Amino acid sequence: MLRFLARRLGAAVVILLVLSFVVFFLQQVSPGDPARAYVGANASTATVDAEREQLGLDDPFFVQYGRFLAGAVTGDLGRSLRTRHAVTDDLQTYLPATAELVLAAFGLALVLAALFALSATRRWPGAAPLRGVLLVLASAPPFLLALVGIIVFFGRLGWLPAGGRGDYVDPGPTGMLVLDTLLHGQTDAFLDAVWHLVLPATVLAIAPAVAIGRIFRASLDGALETDYVRTARSKGLTERRVLAHHVVRNSVGPTLAMAGLQLGFMFAGVVVVEQVFSWPGIGNYLAASIPVADFPAIAGVTLVLGAVYVLTNTLVDLLQAVCDPRVVAE
Amino acid sequence: MSHRTRRSSTRLVVAGALLPLLALSACSSGTRTDASAPGSSASGDSTLTVGLLGDIGQPPDPDIYYANNGTAIMTNVYEGLVQYKNDTDTVQIAPRLATSWEVSKDNTVYTFHLRDGVTFHDGTPFTSAAVKVAFDRRIAVKGGAAYMVEGVKSVATPDASTAVVTLASPNAAFLSYLASPFGPKMESPTGLTKHAGGDDAQTYLASHDLGTGPYTLSSAETGVRYVLKQYPGYWGTTSPFTTVDLPVYTDESALELGFDNGKVDAIVAALPSSSLDKYAKASYAANYFLPTLQGAMVTVNSSHAFFADADARVAFLQSIDQSQLVSQVLGKRSSVATTMYAKGMIPGGGDKQAISHDPAALTDYLKAHPAGGTKLVVGYANGNVNAQQMANIVVANLVADGLKATAQGYDTSTVFGWINDPTKGPDAFIDGNNGPDGGDPYMWGHVFWDASGGINYFGCQSADVNKTLDDAVKTGDVDAYLAAGEAYGKTGCFLNLSYNRDWVLAQKWLTGVAEAQNIGANELDFSKLGVAK
Repeated sequence: MLRFLARRLGAAVVILLVLSFVVFFLQQVSPGDPARAYVGANASTATVDAEREQLGLDDPFFVQYGRFLAGAVTGDLGRSLRTRHAVTDDLQTYLPATAELVLAAFGLALVLAALFALSATRRWPGAAPLRGVLLVLASAPPFLLALVGIIVFFGRLGWLPAGGRGDYVDPGPTGMLVLDTLLHGQTDAFLDAVWHLVLPATVLAIAPAVAIGRIFRASLDGALETDYVRTARSKGLTERRVLAHHVVRNSVGPTLAMAGLQLGFMFAGVVVVEQVFSWPGIGNYLAASIPVADFPAIAGVTLVLGAVYVLTNTLVDLLQAVCDPRVVAE
Repeated sequence: MSHRTRRSSTRLVVAGALLPLLALSACSSGTRTDASAPGSSASGDSTLTVGLLGDIGQPPDPDIYYANNGTAIMTNVYEGLVQYKNDTDTVQIAPRLATSWEVSKDNTVYTFHLRDGVTFHDGTPFTSAAVKVAFDRRIAVKGGAAYMVEGVKSVATPDASTAVVTLASPNAAFLSYLASPFGPKMESPTGLTKHAGGDDAQTYLASHDLGTGPYTLSSAETGVRYVLKQYPGYWGTTSPFTTVDLPVYTDESALELGFDNGKVDAIVAALPSSSLDKYAKASYAANYFLPTLQGAMVTVNSSHAFFADADARVAFLQSIDQSQLVSQVLGKRSSVATTMYAKGMIPGGGDKQAISHDPAALTDYLKAHPAGGTKLVVGYANGNVNAQQMANIVVANLVADGLKATAQGYDTSTVFGWINDPTKGPDAFIDGNNGPDGGDPYMWGHVFWDASGGINYFGCQSADVNKTLDDAVKTGDVDAYLAAGEAYGKTGCFLNLSYNRDWVLAQKWLTGVAEAQNIGANELDFSKLGVAK
């Protein structure tokens, strides 16, 4: 297990190094001028030139890259050219909102995926239309789904808010509003936070739910045909017990792998959803940083997303090992 | 008026669980289910909600902030010595923290008589000592608008209510610098000392304020919302709005829906012209088109082969039908520009633009100079819907003339990088809305025509024009500005397309909108707004 973890850690370091190098290379070849973004549109050329030198943007590529790496090792990702805050501070501000949204969406995706798969396998009456709706919604691009959601549930019905995280200030400590308000027993604030989470989380959850659900369904169907299930049934076990103790557990491996993959994709794909719903997470932060070539911010978010992706896949591998000891043996 | 919406947990669970089905059922409904007609009346609370489209982009520090979206925040929290006069379409300097002033004949000494009874939000009385402190901090922080005080040689304070500013060289535009929304604002000297830290209080002012304005910055959540609270010790008139909430919307449709549902009370110069028709017909909306110094404009890249010839540039600009662009794209918020400078900058409007629409100009030029297969790119800023639509129309006309033209969007940082190497830019660039920092003609000519000015994207300049402008700013000589404008017009590098107005969309009950705005653009003085009875 230790060897497995060490290998994963080494791979993570390599991936993050490559990512940071790519981001810096893009900065170098990009025609954008971060110094201009720093001082503002109407600033004179002399002011921009002075600021460029001050920011070290005139230094050779490897000097800048080395400076970034040295800072990153000590947790200093530089200063955002747009917000002028330390990037690590910005990430601490925005990452919890993204984590809250993605985790809520992931939880919802797992529930929907389970419903999708079990309803098909068990042939629940009336479930086919629900699966049909999910499939249709999953085929729509997230931004379109988000816009339709806002128009319908905010614009027409007035049931759900159009965006934002709510009217309450996060009392801490996690930065996840739903969790923090719950911990502090603030019922109104908690409901308000959940209310704001419903629409963006649902939009983000639908496509992954169908992807996970399809794999889960295929695994369940496969398991139901196996000899050990026939044996269990012949021993007189109830169908529910067969399903819970034999079928689901043996089907969960591939499902976990797909779920981990989808969780990584959700972190990467959250940018669009955060944009449309004015969700103050790192996706929105990234989207605002790109047009003004705020490379410290872009690099910081890229590294975080890369780290989350690697971490998620490592966790999935560990979970698979827990569910199926043969994974480690292999 | 905004109110917080609360929902029961039961409704939450039901709505969440039935989301897909609800979506289908709602799609089939064509009627508004919101019980209250938006904007029909003001509710009882005292919060004004002004929706922002996108974050303000920079920290709300008066010596750093140099963008458009947050101008209203800055001008309601901080005040300068003077301002542009509200509710007029001409450039007039009006008192703010200075009640009167004298200017020496050679434009080097400006004497300001300061308003009594003004206090900063931290309680510190406003005196002449604050003027020098504010100027010094602006220099120290080195923001984009630091140039406005770089020419200050000294600030004398003969008494607490008089500040004498001496410039190193004559500058007739100095009052315009001070009146600009980006001009130097007064900040509490005691507060600056107390919160100086290691960065001249930049960290502190990113989320607090030290101004004298009618509102204090109560909270600044970047990308989320900004909240202003009425300052009880304000020297001037106050509005019924004790709180101004400025939530950040990142999607235009969501912002419009927020307004339609009455959750947003006003939107200041944020929506594209494509939404004009919708709100012209909306019974709950009031549309205000308020004068600014902003405009749409075309900049031509003379570093590219086809446009290296001035005749080609002029022919291209003549091929652009300003009336078509204004009527089809910009709509009621704009009118066709006929002058080289912004509207009202040159008294009497003598700065007529020599280039006028001639549909045959480019065709004739191409007949004389065959350019078969020449590819042209017309650029616009990503996200600027108006500019994109204008670029598409210009491209269609170029294609009709036999050129292989395309329209392409560019990120802001890319646009401002072209000055370092204009050959990397497109052949022409269309600005949907741009303008100078202030109302003096120098602030227009220097910024758009001088390569060192900031917004001359492709560096097309004339040494003679630059010199004329530099001389004119010393005396304010209108004839010199006219000469500079005429000479730059002949380069064929610039076309002033339109005079743009700020489109302020407000609920019908909001009053005082026109009186709360000046040509500085993107701002409303919230203390002058009211509620219809």
